[in-house]
Amino acid sequence: MTTTSAPPGSLLAAQDLRKAYGPTTALDGADFSIHPGEVVAVMGPSGSGKSTLLHCLAGIVPPDSGSIRYDGRELAGMSDAGRSALRRSEFGFVFQFGQLVPELTCVENVALPLRLNGAPRKEAERTALGWMERLEVDDLRAKRPGEVSGGQGQRVAVARSLVTSPRVVFADEPTGALDSLNGERVMELLTEAARSANAAVVLVTHEARVAAYSDREIVVRDGRSRDMERLV
Amino acid sequence: MRPPQSVRDLTMGLRFAVTGGREGWVRLLLTALGVGLGVALLLLTTALPHALEVRHDREQSRSDFTYDYKPVAPADDTLVIADVDTTYRGKDVRGRVVMPEGERAPLPPGVAAFPAAGDMVVSPALKELLDSPGGALLRDRLPYRITGTITESGLIGSRELAYYAGSDALADRVNPPYVARITRFGTPNPTKESTDPVLLLLVLVVFVVLLMPVAVFIAAAVRFGGERRDRRLAALRLVGSDSRMTRRIAAGEALAGALLGLVFGTGFFLLGRQVAGSVEVLGVSVFPSYLDPTPALAALVAVAVPAAAVLVTLLALRGVVIEPLGVMRTARPSRRRLWWRLLLPLAGLAMLYPMIGQGHDGGGFNEYLVVGGVMLLLIGVTALLPWVVESVVGRLGPGGVAWQLAVRRLQLSSGTAARMVNGIAVAVAGAIALQMLFAGVQGDYTKTTGYDLTRAQMRVSVPTGTSVDRATAKVRATAGVGRAVGLADGYAGDTRRDPEHGTEVTLGSCAALREVAVLPSCHDGDSFALLGSPGDTDTPKLVRAGRTVYLDPSYQGEARNLEIALTVPHGVRQARTRHDLTGTERAGLLLTPGALPANAAPAFQGVVYVVLDRTVTDAAEHVRNTAAAMDPLASVDTFAATESSKKFTSIRTGLFVGAACVLALIGASLLVSQLEQLRERRKLLSSLVAFGTRRRTLSLSVLWQTAIPIALGLLLASVVGVTLGAVLLRMSAATVRVDWASVLAMTGIGAGVVLAVTLLSLPPLLRLMRPEGLRTE
Repeated sequence: MTTTSAPPGSLLAAQDLRKAYGPTTALDGADFSIHPGEVVAVMGPSGSGKSTLLHCLAGIVPPDSGSIRYDGRELAGMSDAGRSALRRSEFGFVFQFGQLVPELTCVENVALPLRLNGAPRKEAERTALGWMERLEVDDLRAKRPGEVSGGQGQRVAVARSLVTSPRVVFADEPTGALDSLNGERVMELLTEAARSANAAVVLVTHEARVAAYSDREIVVRDGRSRDMERLV
Repeated sequence: MRPPQSVRDLTMGLRFAVTGGREGWVRLLLTALGVGLGVALLLLTTALPHALEVRHDREQSRSDFTYDYKPVAPADDTLVIADVDTTYRGKDVRGRVVMPEGERAPLPPGVAAFPAAGDMVVSPALKELLDSPGGALLRDRLPYRITGTITESGLIGSRELAYYAGSDALADRVNPPYVARITRFGTPNPTKESTDPVLLLLVLVVFVVLLMPVAVFIAAAVRFGGERRDRRLAALRLVGSDSRMTRRIAAGEALAGALLGLVFGTGFFLLGRQVAGSVEVLGVSVFPSYLDPTPALAALVAVAVPAAAVLVTLLALRGVVIEPLGVMRTARPSRRRLWWRLLLPLAGLAMLYPMIGQGHDGGGFNEYLVVGGVMLLLIGVTALLPWVVESVVGRLGPGGVAWQLAVRRLQLSSGTAARMVNGIAVAVAGAIALQMLFAGVQGDYTKTTGYDLTRAQMRVSVPTGTSVDRATAKVRATAGVGRAVGLADGYAGDTRRDPEHGTEVTLGSCAALREVAVLPSCHDGDSFALLGSPGDTDTPKLVRAGRTVYLDPSYQGEARNLEIALTVPHGVRQARTRHDLTGTERAGLLLTPGALPANAAPAFQGVVYVVLDRTVTDAAEHVRNTAAAMDPLASVDTFAATESSKKFTSIRTGLFVGAACVLALIGASLLVSQLEQLRERRKLLSSLVAFGTRRRTLSLSVLWQTAIPIALGLLLASVVGVTLGAVLLRMSAATVRVDWASVLAMTGIGAGVVLAVTLLSLPPLLRLMRPEGLRTE
């Protein structure tokens, strides 16, 4: 695996990432970097490797080769348990369909990452409720995901991603399943909340409208990334 | 003419079932596999009555000695046959030595020609055993040349060990029932097997208890893949099908699974039928030809299973609201009501109540009331369990993350959880009831033999013409014999013929006689009177010094016996009786060899009692070989502390075999539905892992998810099982006693199955938690 130094000041940086699923190459020498508090949109057509890049950056999937450094630490050198612990405490996640646990109430869903970190239930739910208020879904606290709309569910998912005060939020097509009005509201709330918490956001999307909320865009095509800001 | 809408909907459902791509096929195959296993078990059940009947008929048709036996003179149609059954490593070996006395002597069923002296014809299983290294010891016992095979008509099971050996020296050894002269095989008046009322009750309950979980299992199997199917139905609603149509389409899909299941089931049954011919379970084997399903019952299975599949699907869809746009919101189910669920077991108890105490007088049980009552009680378990699970999990508070995930999921879908454990709960409830019934009535069907196994474990009859001392010495020299005591038994009457009074005469060394009586002192030549046995009035009259008695007296209408005169010695002394080696108290005259007239020895039948050295492998087999070497007709008995009624034992065996099959089936069903649920949640599991959930937490939550309903199910099963057991015991007029060991054992087995299923589902769970689950492309 190549070990090169990350760009100065970057919180999370990847260089020359390669990843293949069987005969399909998903990443073919992709680079990436993000600074604290920065919102970076990863754009590209379907099947270009955006989600794989996000999964590698988040330590969910190990790359075949290349380097990923988070806060000065090489992710490749960490065990699965170490990467899991990192995801629990330092990262937050928002997926396209929310992926809320259907049997838990909304507040229990938001409190879940805190509870996984060992926080007592009441304390975790109190913190969760605070985030739900900020995302304007506190009235849904006792409802189950099946009883709320798609937009509301996605806002609950955003609250869940921020509840541990993560340093990086990974959002994979967070508005992909929403109408434009709901999508924009979710993006506003996500970026506002992240910026106020000084959390970096890696935003995977194929919609320019969504990417407009970012500070910088990276385009992934055929497994290779290009920094659009630099090109401009 | 166009078929009606309902038929078109059903057909569409059938088509969907087979055109759903890979996912659709997997679902269809899983359903068909589940239904097929259930159908195979049902077909097997329908074939059992025929199998039992054929076994009984074959047993009767080869019977060679009957209790209405009358002495027959040698003729060209007579056969002398000796019963030389033996045991080899716990397995029964049916043996006969035969000597035809003429051209027209009857051939045993399944035998083409009589074996010549020194030859034998054997069953295929015995040949296999004798040819294998494991049969070497038995080969020593049966040193005959194998010249033929006994065919199916002469055997009751494919794995039965049996042989007919030829002899030319049996004519003067006729001694019914061990050696008989016969003119035909078979019982002159064949009987149908009759079963006493309590055994009949056991058989009925065993059947219901074993079949109920199969029905529950089939009901669960047709719901495999239900969630995916509901999503497909939602899509159908979008393109204009109304809710009735969607239900019928769903029913059509279930029907496809059930029909394919019927095909699979028939295939499994036919396959199993062939396999059944080559296996033996708990000493019982059958030929494939025995397993012919009763046509009416098989037809019932063919109709009832698809009908039940449709019915279950329609019932399952009752609480589901399927809306278009793929948005499927389950209407919050109304709280389950208890009253009608309680009615089922209460109705069952009401049906059984009139039969309480009927086991007393041998009066028959009403079969319909028994089956109906037991079924309603067991169905009561399946009706009550969802209510119990819902009520209890609704009150469970949140604990750790794993517990919270499990409890919340159970609260959201307690019905699914209850359905999963219903089969186990029914099986366990039934098994507890049966175990209680078995334990309760065991005393009536199992009797203590009274043998003191510390003093003797085997008895070898000394063949005619062999002295007891020589036989004892041979047995003593056998590998694995710790101790051997030789005694000889005779009988003396007050007259030569048709004696009015008689007494036992026991012959043995002083040491041997001390095993049956407390002697004052003893030297060879001494004799003793053994008085004081309760109810023995003859001994004091006959065993008096100087009185002449006649050993082996003759009886009118029978061949003349030895009639040897014996004068009770003048020095006869009194001895005190004690429990002998078989646990009984003897009476009569005890003689040491020196006190016996020279010509009297043939009037005695020698017996050697054996204590085995259990550290020696196959000790009992060596003893049997020694006996057979002395005389192929020598009989060897092995003592046991208890003796059970054969029918009672076979019903109990049947229960164990059936219960094992049913539990394995339910375990398989649990595993399939568990895996299916996990597959449905694949994406969620992956996303939970993505934000750092420990795999251990998720595994634990799966364990809790199964353990909580199973604990509740087993608790309910115990209550219903104990209640049913108590009622059945009252019906059999036996004392009601809760057999806690059975309750613990049965619930333990049930819990074991769940634990095994959870463990088996862990590897797929860990696989499903991989990040690949997050990929959409």
